[in-house]
Amino acid sequence: MLRKTGLLFLFLLLLLPLTQAIAQDWIRTGTNRGAPIRLAVPDFKPSGSDPQNAPLLSVFNDTLWSDLDNAGIFDMVAKSFYPAAQPGQPSEMKLDAWGNAPVNAAMVAFGNLGVNAGKVDVQGWLFDAKNASFPQVLGKQYREDATPDKARLIAHRFADEIIFRLGGGIPGIAESQIYFVSLRSGTKEIWSMDYDGANQKQITKLGSVALSPRISPDGSRLAFSGLTHDSWQILMYSMDLGRTVAFPRYSGDNFSPAWSSDGTKIAFSSSMHSGLSEIFVADASGANARRLSTGKGDVSPVFNPKTNGQIAWVSGRTGLPQIYVMDADGSNVQKMTDQGYAVSPAWSPNGLLLAFSWVRNYGPGVLGGQDIYLMDIASRQIVQLTHDGGRNDFPSWSPDGRHIVFQSNRSGTEQIWSVLADGTHLQQLTRQGRNSQPNWSFK
Amino acid sequence: MAYVRANMFYEREQWKKPLLVSVGFHGALVLAILVLGYVLAPHGTSNWGATGEGSAIHADVVASIPLPHTEESPNIVANESKGVTQTVPQPKPVETEDGISIPGKVTKPKTIDKPQTQERVQPRPTPTPEQTAVAYGEGGPVSGPYGNFNTTSTKGGFSIQNADFGAQFGWYVQNVNRVVSNAWYQVEVDPRVTNAKRVYLLFDIDRNGRPSNVRFEQRSDIPSLDQSAMRALQRIDTFGPLPPGYRGDKVSVEFWFDYHR
Repeated sequence: MLRKTGLLFLFLLLLLPLTQAIAQDWIRTGTNRGAPIRLAVPDFKPSGSDPQNAPLLSVFNDTLWSDLDNAGIFDMVAKSFYPAAQPGQPSEMKLDAWGNAPVNAAMVAFGNLGVNAGKVDVQGWLFDAKNASFPQVLGKQYREDATPDKARLIAHRFADEIIFRLGGGIPGIAESQIYFVSLRSGTKEIWSMDYDGANQKQITKLGSVALSPRISPDGSRLAFSGLTHDSWQILMYSMDLGRTVAFPRYSGDNFSPAWSSDGTKIAFSSSMHSGLSEIFVADASGANARRLSTGKGDVSPVFNPKTNGQIAWVSGRTGLPQIYVMDADGSNVQKMTDQGYAVSPAWSPNGLLLAFSWVRNYGPGVLGGQDIYLMDIASRQIVQLTHDGGRNDFPSWSPDGRHIVFQSNRSGTEQIWSVLADGTHLQQLTRQGRNSQPNWSFK
Repeated sequence: MAYVRANMFYEREQWKKPLLVSVGFHGALVLAILVLGYVLAPHGTSNWGATGEGSAIHADVVASIPLPHTEESPNIVANESKGVTQTVPQPKPVETEDGISIPGKVTKPKTIDKPQTQERVQPRPTPTPEQTAVAYGEGGPVSGPYGNFNTTSTKGGFSIQNADFGAQFGWYVQNVNRVVSNAWYQVEVDPRVTNAKRVYLLFDIDRNGRPSNVRFEQRSDIPSLDQSAMRALQRIDTFGPLPPGYRGDKVSVEFWFDYHR
């Protein structure tokens, strides 16, 4: 009898992990278009007495604040509301002081920075100010050379971690790059900059004209349109090698390259076939180019980055340029706009929205600016993103799908601007020379 | 002369007869009592308290006795007015762990327990660190004195059934809420609809944060609203990976859509 009982107990014991595995956690919630996450970011504290701490802390704190503010998902709590005692370690964090009035923060990002033997060490935490039992959401530690650039890099990475956790799993853009055309060197060349306009650097030194920069999804190659001695060609620049690398040259003029999001194909417009621009697709190496469109005056192709199964482009086949969409094999052509002057389509990373530049009422004597618009492709509903700000053109989506960078002459000269996809948080990114045709990196 | 000698000591009294008479009398008396009792006793099957027989007083319970109204004197000393003064109640005796002390009672002195010698405590073995320790920065909550703070409920009615997940990863639940809400395009709903029943969707979130197994739990019976809710989920690629501190493979979500124009 005792033996039978023991066996039964053992059997039940073996079943226990199984029942735990079957047990399912449930979340029950509903729609709530509440305010953005209220985030407090007290300045990081020095963790030592090294004289380099102060300048690096200044760079770090400014960059972290700017990154989180630019993310578009946080309501940043002004520092004037913060308690006098600011934490640098979890043991110094008093949640009730941050979670209650006047701060009323939902989340607090804090930490410390210290220079030691030429290296900067940063510890950062993200705490849920409303959860006293389990406050820690994130904890990170970084170690880099003690330079301002590295302090900026660490701030970018920590900001991206926070945005990734609290932004619904969409990676932050703090480490992304924007490529653009600048005339500041005397000729139009391709330049790059951080997403916030910092670290502007010249990439190409073609000496003629370089237009339409498009960075590959892995960030290793930069395709662009370059004016050679006899024609416009698609040129390829290796970011790893720091020079232009071989890419097939086709007859006629070839413009506006565009990568598929898997990096295996390049679409571009070329007059190689009929003397008029048509849409072509080639392998990433430039081989096996094949014509997709049969219309004349087709330019500016762009893949649907979500599926790579569709291409949007601009065609003047019915008069003024309009936005069209077709399948990646050239079939199922659809006209998306049917009035005004619509150019420069840019497909959102989730494949749902199309940004484009539109002169809605185009013609002699007709008042109206050139603005950036967003179209929900499924419903074809259109929202105007920019208003009354000169000529706005060449929109490009950020990898997180929350920002759009574009060129505008609203400041008097062509410059690069960025804006949240809801039309807020407009920022001028370039101020020197004339800058145009921005392209945001894939990541 | 005849000499009559009377010797009383030799003369025996005859008691046999009176004894028999007495016994007979008492027997007759007992018999008479029994016969009389039988004759006079009530005969029949009447029950006590039977209806129609006898009488009882019927009493109703009332809350108070209606006293006749008395003519009230305006004098506050003569009438039942509480007056203008107030009596301060005496403070209650403080109840201690030993109870309320009774005045005059002599408490028995407590017996002093026999002093106990402290047992020798065996030192606990030092725990060996787990091989599955969470890497720095990926771990769970930090323990520490953070005071008492109650989680406030947010607008829209959060209710998380699983206390473990909801309490520990409330920020993730809010992520789910925010992402779905932002992916729901209310313009897709028939503009003639101003109010509707809640739509309930069920879905799972896997370890990588991807939604799957989306299905209706309850429809609103308005096709455009139901479809807009389903499309909202179809637009979402990820909610972000489940928190590193969560050990399950997936969580199930019940999500409702409230539509009011």
